Amino acid sequence: MQFEVDMLAPGVERIIGADHSLEVIADSVTFGEGPVWDPRSKQFFYTDICGDTIWKCKPGGQPEIVMQPSAHANGMCFDREGRLLVAGWGGRTVFRFAKDWSVVTLASHYEGRKINSPNDIVVRSDGQIYFTDPPGGMLNVGMVGDDLQKYLDIQGVFRLTTGGRLILVTADFVYPNGLCFSPDEKLLYVNCSRERLIRVYPVNSDGSVGAGRLFYQYTHPDRGNPDGLKCDIEGNVYCTGPGGIWVHDPEGKVLARLKVPGHPTNLGFGDDDWRSIYVTTVGNVVRARTNIPGVAGW
Amino acid sequence: MTWNFERVAVPYKGITGGVAWDGKSVLFSAVQEERVLKYDPQSGRADNFRKYSGRTNGIAIGLDGAMYGAQEGGRRVIHFKPDGSTAPTCDLLDGHHHNQPSDIAVDGQGRVWFTDPHNAVAPYGPPVYPFLDHGPVLRLERDRAGAWTLKCVTRDTREPRALVLSADETTLYVAEGNAEMDGRCDLRAYAVHADGSVGACTVLHAFAVGERGIEGLCLDSAGNIVACGGWKKSGAGPLVYVFAPTGSVLEAHPAPCDLPMRCAFGDAGLGSLYVTGGDACLYRAQGFGRRGLQRGTGTPG
Repeated sequence: MQFEVDMLAPGVERIIGADHSLEVIADSVTFGEGPVWDPRSKQFFYTDICGDTIWKCKPGGQPEIVMQPSAHANGMCFDREGRLLVAGWGGRTVFRFAKDWSVVTLASHYEGRKINSPNDIVVRSDGQIYFTDPPGGMLNVGMVGDDLQKYLDIQGVFRLTTGGRLILVTADFVYPNGLCFSPDEKLLYVNCSRERLIRVYPVNSDGSVGAGRLFYQYTHPDRGNPDGLKCDIEGNVYCTGPGGIWVHDPEGKVLARLKVPGHPTNLGFGDDDWRSIYVTTVGNVVRARTNIPGVAGW
Repeated sequence: MTWNFERVAVPYKGITGGVAWDGKSVLFSAVQEERVLKYDPQSGRADNFRKYSGRTNGIAIGLDGAMYGAQEGGRRVIHFKPDGSTAPTCDLLDGHHHNQPSDIAVDGQGRVWFTDPHNAVAPYGPPVYPFLDHGPVLRLERDRAGAWTLKCVTRDTREPRALVLSADETTLYVAEGNAEMDGRCDLRAYAVHADGSVGACTVLHAFAVGERGIEGLCLDSAGNIVACGGWKKSGAGPLVYVFAPTGSVLEAHPAPCDLPMRCAFGDAGLGSLYVTGGDACLYRAQGFGRRGLQRGTGTPG
């Protein structure tokens, strides 16, 4: 399988490469999400939100169940100790798999009220966990848990300190979804599925952020809203959006659009050289090769 | 006798939809504002009952006080629990996600009946699940373990928008059709069998092509059917009807607004009629000679 690419800036071949082939990692996925590579076990983890399952898959192997049901788990990442962190969407928590794969709830309430539905999650190198908290896991068909009531009047981006304190990073968003750090962790990117934009925030040394500014506003009529968000080591920003994966330079300029078939939901860099892009879609999980490595995960 | 409507709650965004009397207050939906409000006739105030209702339209309260909402946006019926939480029910009919619930009623056994048409506004979330190949009336019932199950009641409806059960619950009245989706509209009745299935459809009142038909139904104490329907752009205009159980029109009165939506009796002795509408207000008529059906006792309350 191949994908087409809109080459939207001179020299973008250096980043994207000439090989536009796609390898199907998993099919029979109702709604793929949470793509993350585990460099320790050298396998790829993902979620099927509607299928209510967390999966893992070694290259060339068959997917294996990690958790089912999974509280309609959504975004995932590994922390520095190699423990899988999960944005618990329908279950309305952030949780971590301990080394023995037992589940430890890390966040469920903010200022005494149940949080919305954690969507995507990322860890800073100091161990602080950042996650987005839009309302979709209380509303979307086939994605909800036991309590559909929204209690917070915000759709926050939150930061969980290593001491377990939950701090509001920003309440700027209607529907915060994907988030990632720049390679030097001095910038935090967050996208909004409803307003179809990416904002970027300067990150202070303690992990708090300064005032955000608009990084990119999507206006393209193709189907799809900003969802997954990742950076490569040069600081280019990859965002699943209208009609595919959009690649921006660090100033926000559009470099390319990877027209991955179907409806891409999120992406994660992986493999030993971090030069593969794993893409979750509504229907399957695919892998493409690229030239510039993604920011390595733990 | 003229029915004089007064506006008792100010305009909201979009429309007001489902309306129900809880014994003391009127609960009604501001659908696009995604909240359910509570109007207190004593104070004349309308306050939030529940925010973030997910485009809930129809509201119904069972004899045990359990309150349910037809969540158009989420393609599910939800249970507004007294502790402030909101529980899902069962949104799968034979393994398939049903459509977009519109109107809802709870019977004496605590079963939840609802119409399941399509709505002009897309549901929440990515369009992963196709709609059913028809627009049924569905019924939620609890199994022996207390879990919700979903049963199909009608298969000959396409866009059922409102429903109400007769006082003895042996007849199901359904307002079928959506003129904006090029459908013919009618008011129809089905005999309800002891096992919960229904018999053949009897059309009580057929609307002409282009007429809006009925959006809201409730019963008076004599078992007559009070219905909100019509629009200014064609036909007889926006009306509140009273139909005999046979379908004869006993009364028809100008509605207080265009696109009248839902209706419910309320206040002392169920002597007032509350109406929601396309202008997103709540209206009330008092002292017009009819009372609402008091369910559970068989007598007007």
